[in-house]
Amino acid sequence: MKEPRNSDQESTQELQPVEHSTRAAYTIEAVADLAQVPRRLIVLYCKHGLVVPASKSPESGWYFDDRAIHALRRIENLRNACGMNLTGIKLMMHLMKEVERLREEVRFFHRQ
Amino acid sequence: MPVEFKDYYKILNVPREASDEDIKKAFRKLARQYHPDVAKDKKAAEEKFKEINEAYEVLGDPENRKKYDELGSQWRDGTGFQPPPGWQQGRGQGAPFSEGSFEFRFGGTGFSDFFEQFFSRGGRFDDFSDLGDRQKYGDGQAGFARRGSDLESDILVTLEEASKGSVRVLTLQRTNRKTGQARTQTIKVKIPSGVIDGQIIRVPGMGNEGIGGGSTGDLYLRIRFAAHPDFRVRGADLYYNLDLAPWEAVLGTRIVISTLQDRVAVKIPPGANNGQQLRVRGRGLVNGQSGEKGDLFVVLNVVVPERVTEQERELWNSLSRLSDFNPRNS
Repeated sequence: MKEPRNSDQESTQELQPVEHSTRAAYTIEAVADLAQVPRRLIVLYCKHGLVVPASKSPESGWYFDDRAIHALRRIENLRNACGMNLTGIKLMMHLMKEVERLREEVRFFHRQ
Repeated sequence: MPVEFKDYYKILNVPREASDEDIKKAFRKLARQYHPDVAKDKKAAEEKFKEINEAYEVLGDPENRKKYDELGSQWRDGTGFQPPPGWQQGRGQGAPFSEGSFEFRFGGTGFSDFFEQFFSRGGRFDDFSDLGDRQKYGDGQAGFARRGSDLESDILVTLEEASKGSVRVLTLQRTNRKTGQARTQTIKVKIPSGVIDGQIIRVPGMGNEGIGGGSTGDLYLRIRFAAHPDFRVRGADLYYNLDLAPWEAVLGTRIVISTLQDRVAVKIPPGANNGQQLRVRGRGLVNGQSGEKGDLFVVLNVVVPERVTEQERELWNSLSRLSDFNPRNS
């Protein structure tokens, strides 16, 4: 018997809404776990200025925010999926930031 | 999955050959009319406001407008939309949510599928290795676990929402390409007060499912400010263009303007020049990340009357005879 065709089938599943605090601060261990990036690599990326801790103090250590997790995921993507080395990643992250900034400038002037 | 073509010219109610200035004017007029803060029927106005904003986002930028005109060159009202050859719907161009064997659709971000597909700001990091890995290693093969890839989407936020904060309800529909099965999730996202343009909001566990027991990826929402009919944004600062009559600029005056929070009287000093900026401290946006409070810059724009009466012409003539001012000689 042929398998029933279900390409038009649609099941809608309503899930409980998720609310997430956007001001969360994470320790380096938590970030390593959330972004699935080893701690030593996070330290390396910080040294190269690719990721910046949201706060840094000798007493309480480094704390990161969602921006850092986003940056780490992006770096990992460039490393694993695009096969880039650290030099390439640095260049790419710099260019992406620059493009974003210039786009903002262009938008600002177009709206003048 | 084909998307519905958006007629942005019709939305802004301008002809296809409208000048950039006409488009700007049309946007301002409609944006004032449908701004969620002023309109009576807030819900309907909000939808319309977002649509106007999206249209302006494309037509208000010459590059995007050119791209849009090319894209829509074959399209006629009432017909289905097929992008012209060269506009692949696959990876790399368009279809930004193609993610391996799933297709994603967002609802409630303030942007249409059409916009998302062709004009989204990008920076969405598709994991290109996803498909290859699955083929190479097979789904869930022992000893191989990989975190699911992340999803990114822009979310349109008004300046008022950014300053007061809001809660947005998004829907995310995942369709399995092979089986056609769709699953819709509802996500409630808190937009905190003090968000800035370009800021990322992370929604954990809403990305792609992991492979071989790997954890689920995240969803990243990028804040994108809606164009405001009166203010332009740069960082936490707001810019307001204030039109002045020539005599107001020369003699100075006092003008009351509405800021996002209240109304302030701005004193225009005598001899004010076109393009001059006056700073109103603390009336900008608040950057929730740095705590910095932005300012409002009033940019003066001297406007010359298009028509003058006989008597006015006589007065300008007297002035020109009397004055020794020469703008090309100072």
